[in-house]
Amino acid sequence: MAEPSTRPTEAAIEQAFRTEAGAALATVARLVGDLDLAEEAVQDAFVVALRRWPVTGVPDRPGAWITTTARNQAIDVLRREGRRAEREQQAGDALRALEATPPILHPVVDDQLQMFFTCCHPALDPASRVALTLRLVGGLHTEEIARLLLTGEPGVAKRIQRAKHKVRTAGIALRVPPPELLPERVPSVLECVYLIFTEGYSATAGVHAVRDDLCDEALRLARLLVELLPDEPGPDALLALLLLQDSRREARVDPAGRLVLLADQDRQRWDPQAVDEGLHWLRRAQAHLDPSPRVAAYVLQASIAAEHAQAETWEATDWSAIVSRYDALVALNPSPIVEVNRAIAVSYADGPERALAALERLVDDPRLTGSPALTGARADLRRRLGMREEAAVLYRQALDEVRTEPERAVFAGRLAEMTGDHLPG
Amino acid sequence: MHFLVLMYDDETAATEPGTPEFDAEMEAYVAFEELAGGAIVGGEALQPSATTRTVRHDDAQPRITAGPFAEVAEVLGGYYLLDAPSLDDAIELVRHLPVASQPSGAIEVRPVVQWFDGRPEGGGDRDTQVLATIHGEQTEADDPDHEGWDIGAAEHDAFIEGAGDVVVAGGVVHPSDTATTVRRRDGELLVTDGPFSELTEVVGGFYVLDGTAELVDEVALQVPVPAGGAVELRPIMDVDG
Repeated sequence: MAEPSTRPTEAAIEQAFRTEAGAALATVARLVGDLDLAEEAVQDAFVVALRRWPVTGVPDRPGAWITTTARNQAIDVLRREGRRAEREQQAGDALRALEATPPILHPVVDDQLQMFFTCCHPALDPASRVALTLRLVGGLHTEEIARLLLTGEPGVAKRIQRAKHKVRTAGIALRVPPPELLPERVPSVLECVYLIFTEGYSATAGVHAVRDDLCDEALRLARLLVELLPDEPGPDALLALLLLQDSRREARVDPAGRLVLLADQDRQRWDPQAVDEGLHWLRRAQAHLDPSPRVAAYVLQASIAAEHAQAETWEATDWSAIVSRYDALVALNPSPIVEVNRAIAVSYADGPERALAALERLVDDPRLTGSPALTGARADLRRRLGMREEAAVLYRQALDEVRTEPERAVFAGRLAEMTGDHLPG
Repeated sequence: MHFLVLMYDDETAATEPGTPEFDAEMEAYVAFEELAGGAIVGGEALQPSATTRTVRHDDAQPRITAGPFAEVAEVLGGYYLLDAPSLDDAIELVRHLPVASQPSGAIEVRPVVQWFDGRPEGGGDRDTQVLATIHGEQTEADDPDHEGWDIGAAEHDAFIEGAGDVVVAGGVVHPSDTATTVRRRDGELLVTDGPFSELTEVVGGFYVLDGTAELVDEVALQVPVPAGGAVELRPIMDVDG
C-alpha cells in the first residue's frame, strides 16, 4: 500500500471537525467570552489533533478532547496577553474564569443554542447572520462558506469580521434569550436556516438548479435546532418544511441538470422517508395550539408542502386545501410573493380565468418589479388559456428577468412552445 | 457598558402641550424612567429642530449658520445615555419609549467608547445649554481599535481643556456600523442593523455646552470635526423646571 496508516486518522480529524467544531467553539466562547479568541483556540486544537492523533489514535470522545485542548490553548493565549499591560485586566478575568473550569469538558447543548441566537441576532443584517451561522454554528471555513454562497472569499471574510466586530462592540451577549422573548427571537433563527436552505434549493445564482451541499447543511442546522429547542413549535415546523420540500430534490432536476417543474416530476423519485419524517414533524408542530404568527407561517408553508407530498399525481392534488392554506398565509403575512403563489393555486383549483385578475392586480406592486416569478406566472396563465401571443411576450420578459440558468431554460422552453420554434421529440 | 440612545421622529406629528395625547406621552416617559431607573445615566429633551444651528467648516474660518447640517423628515428629539449589561438589555428598555411606537419614530442605539458628565446635581445654571453633535464622513480613525484614533482623541482632549467650564458633558461613540435601530410597529419589535439614517449619522460623539450665548458659540466653533463635517447645535429643553 502506498498510503501510510495516517490516512484514516486524517479522515477522522476531518470528520471530527465537521461534527464537533461548532459545539466546541460554543463552549469555549462561553468560557472566554470572546468569539475571535474562541475560534483561534479551536483552530489551534485541531492543529494539535492533526499532529497528535496520527500517533496516539483518535480519542474515544473526540469532541471532549477538542474542547479541552481548545480551552488549554485559550489559557496559553490569555497568559501571553496578560503580560501586555493594557490587556492585563481583561485577560486576567477571562483567565481566572477559564482556569476555574474542569479540564474535561463536555460540549454543552445550551452553549450551541446561545451561539445560534448570537449569530442570528436581529441587530445583525440577514446576510451576515447566514455567514456567521455557517461559520460559528456549522463550523465551516470561510472558503467553504464562500463556495456554498457562490461569493468571493474576501467578501465572506470581511462580512464575518464585521459581524463579529459588531457582536463584540455593540454588546450583543452570548446568551439564550429569556422565555418571554423567545417568540420574537426564534423567528430570526428559523429565517436564517430557511434562507440557507432556499439558497440551496432554488439557487438564485449560478448554473445549478439545486445545490445539494447547502440543502444538507440547512437540514443539519434545522435538526440541531429541533434538538436544542425541543419545546418550541417553530423548529419542528421548519424541519418539516425543509424535509417535505427536500423530499423532491432528486426529482427536481433531470439527468441533464434541467429544472423539472412540480407538475412534470416523476413522483416515484420523491424520497418517501423524507416525506414521512416531514409529516411527523409537521404533526408535532401542529399540536401546539397557539403558535406566534411568524411560527404559524412556517406551519402553513409546511402543510402546503405536505399536500403536494401526499398527492399521488399532479391531477390528484387537493388544490382547494392548498388555496385555503394560502388564504391563511396571506392573512398572517400579506407578502406579494405569497399572493403570487396563492393565485397559482387558485388557477388550478378554480381555473386560470379566476386567477388572472388576482395576478394582474400585483403588476403594479413595486416589490415585485422585475420578478420572474410574477411574470412567469402571468405567462403560464395565458399559455393555459391558449393566448399564445400574449404568453410569448411575457415569457420573453421573464427571460430578461431571470437570474439563474435553470430558470432561463424553463422559460426558453415555454417560449419555444408558444412560438412553435421547438423541434418535436 | 454604556449606550447612547438617539430618538428620532417626524416633528410635525408631535403632540401639543395641553392635549391628552401630550399628557399620555409625558406619562409614558415617566414610566420609562421609572422602569429604567438607575440604568439612565444621562439624557435630555431637545428644543424643536427649527432652533437648530450648524457650525460649518467649509470656509477658511468656521461659521455658524441657521438650520441643520442635513434636512431630514425625522429629526433628533432627545437622547438618553444608558448603562446596561448588553445590547439586549438596552433594547428591552428602549422598546418602552413612546417614540419607538410612533408611525415615523425610531431609536438608534450606539455603543459608547467613553463619556463624562461634570454637571452638578440638578443640571447647572441653564443659561444657554446646547447639545452639540458631530456629523460628517466616518473614517478609520473613528474606530477606537485603529491607531489613528489616539490622534483624534488628543485633539478632543485639548478642546475640552481649552473650553474650560463651558463643556459640561460629552461622549465618544463607536462608528455607526456598530449601531442598531429599534422600532415598534403594531406592538411588534423591529430591530435592524446599522444607523437610523446615513444622513443624520452622528460620528465621533457629542458635547453638552453650557454658558452665556456668546461663550457657547465661541466654544462651538472650536469643536473638532472630521474633514467635510459639521457640528449641529440644538438648545436643550428644560423639562425639569
